Amino acid sequence: MRPMWRRTCALAVAPLVMASAVACGGGSDQAAEGTTLRVIVNITPNLTEKYWNDLFAKYEKAHPGVTVKLELTGTVAADAKLRQDLAAGDPPDVAQQITPTADTAQLFADLSDQPWAAKTPLADQYAIGGKHYVVGVGEQIQSLVFYNKAAFKKAGVNAGAIRTMDQFTAAMGKLKDIGYKPLQTAGQWVTGGQFSMMADAGVLTADPKWTAERNKGKRSFADSGYLPYLQHYKGWIDKGYLDKSALGLTYADGQTAFLNGKSAMYIMGSFFVPAADAAKKSDGIGVFTMPTDGAYPSGQFGNICNPYVVVNKSRHKAEAISFVKWATTDPEAIRSQLASDGNLRGGFTYPMSSLGTSVQKILDKAPSVIVKSGANQPIAGFSDELNKQVQSLYMGASPKAVADGLDKWWNSQG
Amino acid sequence: MSGPQRLGRRRARLRETAVSLGMIGPAVLLYTLMTVVPVGVALYLSLTDWDGFSTAAFIGLDNYKHLFDDPSSTDAWYVTALVAAFGTALMVGLGLVYALALKAKSRTNSFFRAVAYFPHVISALILGYLWAAILGTNGAINNTLAKFGIAPVGFLFDEKFALISLIAVIVWAGFGFNVVLFVAALQTVPAELLEAAAIDGASRRQTDLRVVIPMIAPVVTVATVLNLVGLIRAYDIVVSLTGGGPAGSTQTFTYLILARSFEGTKVGYATAQAVFLMVVSAVLALLVTALRNRQDQAATGG
Repeated sequence: MRPMWRRTCALAVAPLVMASAVACGGGSDQAAEGTTLRVIVNITPNLTEKYWNDLFAKYEKAHPGVTVKLELTGTVAADAKLRQDLAAGDPPDVAQQITPTADTAQLFADLSDQPWAAKTPLADQYAIGGKHYVVGVGEQIQSLVFYNKAAFKKAGVNAGAIRTMDQFTAAMGKLKDIGYKPLQTAGQWVTGGQFSMMADAGVLTADPKWTAERNKGKRSFADSGYLPYLQHYKGWIDKGYLDKSALGLTYADGQTAFLNGKSAMYIMGSFFVPAADAAKKSDGIGVFTMPTDGAYPSGQFGNICNPYVVVNKSRHKAEAISFVKWATTDPEAIRSQLASDGNLRGGFTYPMSSLGTSVQKILDKAPSVIVKSGANQPIAGFSDELNKQVQSLYMGASPKAVADGLDKWWNSQG
Repeated sequence: MSGPQRLGRRRARLRETAVSLGMIGPAVLLYTLMTVVPVGVALYLSLTDWDGFSTAAFIGLDNYKHLFDDPSSTDAWYVTALVAAFGTALMVGLGLVYALALKAKSRTNSFFRAVAYFPHVISALILGYLWAAILGTNGAINNTLAKFGIAPVGFLFDEKFALISLIAVIVWAGFGFNVVLFVAALQTVPAELLEAAAIDGASRRQTDLRVVIPMIAPVVTVATVLNLVGLIRAYDIVVSLTGGGPAGSTQTFTYLILARSFEGTKVGYATAQAVFLMVVSAVLALLVTALRNRQDQAATGG
């Protein structure tokens, strides 16, 4: 019986020993091979895995002993990936495409003591309580309408004369008459994203604190400037200016359809420019600032581009800050990142196509860049809900029902 | 029995008990660590306002109350119910028909059984992308139709069609697993029962309906429960095939939890949604099993 007892004890202990061995494993490779910085990035049609690896290789070359490892997010967004990693006790060192809020600021290193941080683009607009948690490479503007020059010429439409929503709608009618699909959209995030690029230019130029006021419950979609924009959008669907079948396209497919001349206009951010350049279609494409029901030109809905945060729980915080400093202040790194996504930054130029130059001119003339950050940041999950609600316009929902739906959702999240 | 003998027997019994406990100990420990503790932690977190990183504050049943006033939840439950009900019925029904049709031993039947099972070995995520490339606006089918001047069919962009497409792909991907289960069960039907039915002049349809299916009913119940619980948690095909769209028309409850709630800062609420889902799954599984048992009892006159 005694050997059996021993065997039983051994059996009982074995899984624990194995579990302990697994738990204690890992991490030792870093001590032997120098520092490995793990960086969460979002992959887009412009910012490919190869692009990031090539960029980070330049840093590794200049900083022997440091390896920068790309952390792909898979099917989730960067902030969800960060949250997963933190919950798993395996924090990355740096994360991109994350905008800290007052609630989440504690997750990130306070870079206010870094003199260079305050000089990065839109640093003050993104500060939380006067502290800098995020630093970016440049800025993007998004209230832009790209158009097919040949289609406009054929339809006899003067892009420079489109300043109001009614003129915008009239132009769509002329383009449809000559056989063009007037406005290109797509599924995924694009439907809601384009609506935001359009409506925010008008509503937030007139009322820059609208989102902050909505957060306080003092504004609503149903009783504000958003409703007329929903009505315009619904009108375009009803007149066939927007195609329901486009909801079955991915972001990249929608972009390709416009580049291939299947549609006449495409509402998109400045990050569309590199895609047009890469397709060698820039010269045939023009751009004008988003028409609105109010001021012309309106403020440009914009955002910090290539935002970097250093994760507070990073095991290599000093090295991570050094890397982020390089990514946002090194001239070569800046130019590369600006050019890769059509981004802009005062004092930095890079060889631009005619389309890129036109976007720069729009930014120069814009009275303001409207940034949704800090108190003006919408409630978490809003962009998904907006996308869902705007898509429901294609399914027959009325603009009022959509506006009410957005209010109902926002109120329910409190 | 003398004192030392009694003492010896008691020691032997004690040793046997200790050995038994020692044998089941690791399993109980691992089960506790990997199932009981996480479920307990989830239950606790569902009663808090935890945002995923700061200290969790206890808020009682607020998250569960919010479940019923959150418009996204209501829509997602409707979609989930349709996917689970139609998906399970079709997967079990088609699996059964397919298995009955291919129950005889032959190379051709083996080939077709393997073909039916094949999608099950591929990641659901990949299957979703594959079918998106076939059914999408720019997909193989619509591109072919376009060559004949036919407008694109809304497999993925029409809200009603998209849900049907989603269920169809789920059924195509999953019914092969049921085929394997049913074919294995069919091998256990006693040959003498089939012979008796044949002697009684039963047609093949009558034999299948009156003899074969009742004999494999427990396996059908297991398949139903597995499919039902699996489809209530449908997520990966949704992500890759429709992304929950258009207009949230294919957004299942699990998609809502993973793609929306966890991506925000409401981890406590997302956990409450997950706990609620777990309870619904368990209740449905128990309900199906209980109904099946009652039918069995009625059939045997028990």
